Amino acid sequence: MSAKGLRLNRFLNGLVHEKNRKKFLDQPEEAMQGLSDAEKDMVRRLDWKALMDYGASFFCLEKLARAKGVSNPQMVAAFRGESLEAFLKTRRVPGAR
Amino acid sequence: MARIIGGIGTSHVPTIAMAFDKGKQNDPDWQPLFKGYEAVAKWLAEKKPDVLFFCFNDHATTFFFDHYPTFALGVSAEYRIADEGLGVRKIPRLKGDAALARHIARSLVEDEFDLTLFQDLPIDHGLHSPLTMMWPTQPDWPGKVIPLVVNVLQHPLPKPSRCYKLGQAIRRAIESYPEDLKVAMVGTGGLSHQMIGERAGFNDEKWDREFLDLIEKDPERLAKMTIDDFARLGGNEGAEVIMWLIMRGALRKDAKKLHQNYYLPMTTAMAVALFE
Repeated sequence: MSAKGLRLNRFLNGLVHEKNRKKFLDQPEEAMQGLSDAEKDMVRRLDWKALMDYGASFFCLEKLARAKGVSNPQMVAAFRGESLEAFLKTRRVPGAR
Repeated sequence: MARIIGGIGTSHVPTIAMAFDKGKQNDPDWQPLFKGYEAVAKWLAEKKPDVLFFCFNDHATTFFFDHYPTFALGVSAEYRIADEGLGVRKIPRLKGDAALARHIARSLVEDEFDLTLFQDLPIDHGLHSPLTMMWPTQPDWPGKVIPLVVNVLQHPLPKPSRCYKLGQAIRRAIESYPEDLKVAMVGTGGLSHQMIGERAGFNDEKWDREFLDLIEKDPERLAKMTIDDFARLGGNEGAEVIMWLIMRGALRKDAKKLHQNYYLPMTTAMAVALFE
């Protein structure tokens, strides 16, 4: 884990606490106060690939994904730069998610 | 004297827990997975181990990257279920065997494995996604667990050979405990999958099948491989199968595989295997 990614990962990781999660969902700008502008922008857009390239841990991104109702296949498709539908076509049991 | 009655290797994919919690036992997309665990659940119901010793990894839930321990042993009498972003699963808190865990900690340190010890921390799906496939949750868990959290997230990771030797030391620790307890080892993780990078979505069933063969017949060959070998063959996140080597190291050399199931529906190959 890069030192650069630590602040962002700490924020993402904090979403396992219900209080933080609720604040992020209700008042995202206030909840993201400690992040840089670039970090806030990636989180706002749920730009999974940019977040990963920046240094976010997959396991911390999972906390954000769960809070926002995004599945792991959706995230993996984004990392591959393809749509969920295109990704699911490469899978043996597309319904198992 | 406490003794090890067998071992289980199993995936710990979070969607296994989701499928269980949503009651998808008879959903055609999930049935092959649930069927694959029936033999393991039956074995556990018949053999009635007092303790399951779980070698698994946390997913930046219990611990965070400001301090990621290499090997952390839980020594509590009870563990809360962690909230991973969806709320807490509706399953009972885990019961721990604090006395045996503390004995194992002393024995391992004496054996030159300097562990981190933890207590009163919540546990994530790495342990209880497979647990709910194997043990009934109602009216309560039929036994206790001892959690060993292994760092497979933050490099440098422990070497596969170190994991195998740790398993052998855990066997010595358990067998030197005076109380007459039955312990089953559980090694979790894998099989092939990669979640990040351009190779996200990678699997290799051929390698997975070879791994399932070698873990029974020639675990020492697996222990001689490097983390990079495991990541190349089974995917970046698939390298976590080194935790099966801890389980296997704690079993007799001539342990036999009684059952195996393999299912690769989506991004991670889901396997379970039973050894005695």
